[in-house]
Amino acid sequence: MVGSGPTVSGMTTSTQRSAGGPAGVPDGAGVPRTLAEDLRSRTDAELAALLRARPDLTTPVPVDLTQLATRATTRASVARVLERLDRFTLQVVDAAVVLPEGFSYARLRELIGDDVPQLPGAVRALRERALLWGPDDGLHVVRTVRDLAGATPAGLGPALAVALAGTGPARLQDVLAGLGLPPTADAVGAIAALADLFGDHKALAALLEGAPPAAVEVLDKLVWGPPTGIVRGADRPVRADEANTPVEWLLARALLVPAGPQTVVLPREVGLTLRGGRVHRDLEPEPPALGIVERDAQIVDAAAAGAGFTAVRRIEDLLELWSLGGPAVLRAGGLGVRDLKRVAAQLDVTEAEAALWLELAYAAGLVAGDGEADERWLPTPAYDTWRGRPVAERWSVLAGVWLETTRVPGLVGTRDDKDRPVNAFGPGVDRTTAPEVRHALLGRLAGLPAGTAAPAADLLADLAWHRPVRTARLRSELVDRTLVEAELIGVTGRGALASAGRALLTGELARAADLLTPLLPTPLDHVLLQADLTAVAPGPLVLELAQELHLAADIESTGGATVYRFSESSVRRALDSGRTAADLHRLFTTHSRTPVPQPLTYLVDDVARRHGRLRVGAASAYLRCDDEAVLNELLADRRAHGLRMRRLAPTVLAAEGAPDAVLSTLRSLGYAPMAESSTGDVVVTRPDALRTPPRSLPPRVTGEPPAPGATLIDAAVTAIRAGDRAATSRQRGTGDDEAPGELPRTSAAETLLALQAAQADRRAVWIGYVTREGRATQRIIVPLGLEGGYVTAQEHTAGELHTYPLHRITGVAPVEVAEPADS
Amino acid sequence: MGKISAWERFSAVFPRLADGVRNTGRRPVVHTGRSSFAVTAPPIERPRVPEPTSGPLIVQSDKTLLLEIDHEAAADCRRAIAPFAELERAPEHVHTYRLTPLGLWNARAAGHDAEQVVDVLLRYSRYPVPHALLVDVAETMGRYGRLTLAKHPVHGLVLTTTDRAVLEEVLRSKKMAPLVGQRVDADSVAVHPSERGQIKQVLLKLGWPAEDLAGYVDGEAHPIELAEDGWHLRPYQKEAVEGFWHGGSGVVVLPCGAGKTLVGAAAMATAKATTLILVTNTVSARQWKAELIKRTSLTEDEIGEYSGTRKEIRPVTIATYQVVTTRRKGVYPHLELFDSRDWGLIVYDEVHLLPAPIFRFTADLQARRRLGLTATLVREDGREGDVFSLIGPKRYDAPWKEIENQGYIAPADCVEVRVTLTDAERLAYATAEPEERYRFCATTATKTRVTRELVEQHTGEQTLVIGQYIDQLDELGETLNAPVIKGETRNTERERLFEAFRQGEISVLVVSKVANFSIDLPEAAVAIQVSGSFGSRQEEAQRLGRVLRPKADGRAARFYSVVARDTIDQEFAAHRQRFLAEQGYAYRIVDADDLRG
Repeated sequence: MVGSGPTVSGMTTSTQRSAGGPAGVPDGAGVPRTLAEDLRSRTDAELAALLRARPDLTTPVPVDLTQLATRATTRASVARVLERLDRFTLQVVDAAVVLPEGFSYARLRELIGDDVPQLPGAVRALRERALLWGPDDGLHVVRTVRDLAGATPAGLGPALAVALAGTGPARLQDVLAGLGLPPTADAVGAIAALADLFGDHKALAALLEGAPPAAVEVLDKLVWGPPTGIVRGADRPVRADEANTPVEWLLARALLVPAGPQTVVLPREVGLTLRGGRVHRDLEPEPPALGIVERDAQIVDAAAAGAGFTAVRRIEDLLELWSLGGPAVLRAGGLGVRDLKRVAAQLDVTEAEAALWLELAYAAGLVAGDGEADERWLPTPAYDTWRGRPVAERWSVLAGVWLETTRVPGLVGTRDDKDRPVNAFGPGVDRTTAPEVRHALLGRLAGLPAGTAAPAADLLADLAWHRPVRTARLRSELVDRTLVEAELIGVTGRGALASAGRALLTGELARAADLLTPLLPTPLDHVLLQADLTAVAPGPLVLELAQELHLAADIESTGGATVYRFSESSVRRALDSGRTAADLHRLFTTHSRTPVPQPLTYLVDDVARRHGRLRVGAASAYLRCDDEAVLNELLADRRAHGLRMRRLAPTVLAAEGAPDAVLSTLRSLGYAPMAESSTGDVVVTRPDALRTPPRSLPPRVTGEPPAPGATLIDAAVTAIRAGDRAATSRQRGTGDDEAPGELPRTSAAETLLALQAAQADRRAVWIGYVTREGRATQRIIVPLGLEGGYVTAQEHTAGELHTYPLHRITGVAPVEVAEPADS
Repeated sequence: MGKISAWERFSAVFPRLADGVRNTGRRPVVHTGRSSFAVTAPPIERPRVPEPTSGPLIVQSDKTLLLEIDHEAAADCRRAIAPFAELERAPEHVHTYRLTPLGLWNARAAGHDAEQVVDVLLRYSRYPVPHALLVDVAETMGRYGRLTLAKHPVHGLVLTTTDRAVLEEVLRSKKMAPLVGQRVDADSVAVHPSERGQIKQVLLKLGWPAEDLAGYVDGEAHPIELAEDGWHLRPYQKEAVEGFWHGGSGVVVLPCGAGKTLVGAAAMATAKATTLILVTNTVSARQWKAELIKRTSLTEDEIGEYSGTRKEIRPVTIATYQVVTTRRKGVYPHLELFDSRDWGLIVYDEVHLLPAPIFRFTADLQARRRLGLTATLVREDGREGDVFSLIGPKRYDAPWKEIENQGYIAPADCVEVRVTLTDAERLAYATAEPEERYRFCATTATKTRVTRELVEQHTGEQTLVIGQYIDQLDELGETLNAPVIKGETRNTERERLFEAFRQGEISVLVVSKVANFSIDLPEAAVAIQVSGSFGSRQEEAQRLGRVLRPKADGRAARFYSVVARDTIDQEFAAHRQRFLAEQGYAYRIVDADDLRG
């Protein structure tokens, strides 16, 4: 806690609402003495800028500017804003912290260097964020920043005066003598004299000039930090004329100061002088240059569109599969490793890619646990809505979700801190920094001309410059993954940001979809039928046709085109779900560009011929068949004995056991039986696609409050101003009417209200209290309970609990706690 | 149809292709060696920006390529992708090619590079090609040739690398340790010359296939000329031989009936050296011999037969796989064959059937030129990689349909005849033991009856009835009053019957699976298969090949499969049916009852 004069620490106590820091300072009267005053002198636009840069200050909206100042100086809030500064601005912060309070801009510029055009911008940014306040000739760094910077900011040791604080007077006189200074009367005078000498840059430089080479070597080791070194017997008394070693030479002249029995420290002034008056060896006012790769913007868009189309397709394929029954939810939540492997095999992608599609579907709320006892992962109703939209819109939804989600698919399959596997959909896949990294990276790409790509290493270096504190961990991995994912999803193409991706970054989802649409294949309403019983859809199909084909054929290969294969079982599936052979023939003739091959027609007719020839009832399960021979066959078939069938009539058999079992056994024997209801109707058993109940999006796990909108910020500024005006006027009121120290007097109603308020806030108040003996006293109490005409409160001075009858309390006044300097 | 020449027919169907063939400037499908003049890979162009819905090719995410053949650019595209993509299916509208590591390495071996492949994909693709796939192609192709096997004046044979890390990686493999000798320098290591084959096998398995530049021994010279009196090599046969010769060693893929024997003969005439020919069986050996005497300057005395019955070793020796792989007391007594002469060329007939021990012997023959002949690279045991590393990359490939369109093989009309079993048969089928079921349904009496009807319908045409089960064949032979050729039939008897069939003295012949391979029955116009080895595609290809030799009158061949309805037979037939449809053959299914009407 170096420095003197007014500091922000006065605001960190808890009584500003009524008492505020230094009372009685009118708005805009001269030089602000506290941060609160500085804020009060700012315009609304400046306050809005502050809130925008530090959105955490708006939740909740501060009551007045004093509270805003307090909140702006809390450790958490300051740490958060420091995380968001770029490397150069942090270097400026380092330099500012090195200086004592109330430093001038010119001094700061000296420490940074004269020819750095970026300096004013950085200072402006620090001011805007309320990290730096005061006029150019009296700048202050918020105390919390100094605390966070630690004892050795930028690797510089403590100022000489601080370093020498514990040194004995005799020793100080020795040092004075060693430096050729006249002796002083006391230690304070000695330190002041030394500080004067060391504060003179030229004198110090001259002194260092005269150091023996070995001593210079010692200093060189400490100059760029850390400023402490280990020396045996550091605190032994050394006189300049007895110095034998280089360390002793330095110790005798206070160029090194003992910091303990074994440690010496390089005073800040010496360090700075040795550094040539600058704080930093390598100043980085500019982000590192990107090695850029030019690509054809059209190819970039086309490649991204291809990837985007595939992305939508993959998720659709996956969820269509899961519609028929998804994998189990692990007890700890998440998807099992084996299920992940299966998905990868089904989609024909790597596990890492499968994890991306899974997590993306999850983050977009397209898949969720069904909440049943035996919980499974199933598509949500949102999936149906999503699926019904055009491909480009579907893509924009996915890409938008990807950009903002805190889930990091790349973590799936790794092991967490406790060496447990990280599962898809599970906990432990969230990283709060992920959206920021994505925005930062893609934003950087967006800053380049269209079609320009940059190597990952360069982007990483760039990101490290812009956010050196934030995202330091995980960053390299996150950058690589983000780039890979962006490519897979189609936000980038061949490493460059596609135009749809550009629109996405600015939040224009609809425009992104519009940009993508012309690049996507248009949905077709026809297929090519072939004699090998395949149908090739040479592009995406209109939804209706796709669904019909999906029912009547199995998908064999996907990509730009889809290859469907008809088989006996697939045709049977279509018939089972209520299509007739004529329906299928009509489907083929209307949608085929090519003549319907004879084997396909034959296949459909052949399956239809046998389909439903056997009918199974549920009464006690019966089988009937017009063809007696079939029943004979069945009865004779040993494999069917498990069904325990008996003949009911020449064309009817009855079986014991559930109809389901009968059906499946018959099918396994190669028949195509059909279920029948009790009234003899055919039961159509199309498997309904399974869905979860409606689900909301999974919560974003984030350490950040959402960024406030412009309206909110304006409202917040107005509210703070209003609150501040109210607070300051009240202070003035109380201050004028009542001489400090006088017994507070308020009406009974006011007393009750004030006590209630104080109780609610756990706030200390002054009370005027008449004792049992009739003596008027003042006490500071913290009311804890208020009932039956009694106040239970903690007495501030004694810290004991007391009960005060309400009628003996003469009045209540807020407690003013202020720094001695202010009062 | 009969009066139009094959050439006119071909030209009508594929005018542009025909131009290409006629001018010989552009070839329909070409595989060439590494030599500079023969490379006809597509010229490198700047990749155009792909416009959606334009190109004929669709690249799927599972690395299949769909080629829409009715598209105007389809022929060009097919030519461009053929070197690196394996044709998987060729039904009537959309052909499916597949990108496999072996296919890409084949292309590398033929002198194409990744940039050309990527360029072709981008140029013809209708939709944007997934970036990951392009990267994968480049990465896979980049693996070939990082390691090369070359001759070394001191160490004999060395494995050299252009990428030291790769060499380090493969040398760490345990399997490599016994194959290599001392390190020559940082980038090369000596290889025991005897392990030239094994090391190529191992490297392929490790994913770093080596390019074999160690060259070949010339072998003992022997004058061989083609006797082109009244016939000429077809253009594609010439290209196949050229492709093979410039590549040094490798496999030529041609459909059955496309004249693979002639490709072998032409290769021998190019090598002009003593030749060892390995064939599947004795009948096939005799046919090779007859064909060589007819088509080349070789005389009967110069050609030896090394089979179960005869053990002749002559400048050109034809040996059967069976005799070579015979084992007595754990040793192969006939291995001497390989060392008995300084062979200049080794020809492998029907590479896809090559028995496993032959691979082992072949591994020791890496200094000799090797020519593999086959109709399909698909091996049902999945050892395509061994063919690639030991015999060599694919040097020439022409799809069946294309050669058929050129008129060199007969078009075929494939018909599946569905037979409804009688009630009694169905009952018996349902009660049969699982392992007997196929045999039962495949050999029902109803089938015999339907087969007889089919034969009667085609009276006067040369008809083959092909089956799996001997008693069924015997029964058919009786019913049809036709001779039966089966395993126990003596070779002399077989040849007599074949000759009689060839001369038209017999019009119906019932054959077992012994006739599956390498018999030459030029005038078989109708084939009826009644049973088979389950759903084997390879067998289907061979049987179809029986009827694909061009007919004198240019008629389409008929290929019937008689199948019992609603039985396991039908399931197996579905496999074969799919194979035929994928090969692009018109395929119909009819009911036996309709056939009669």
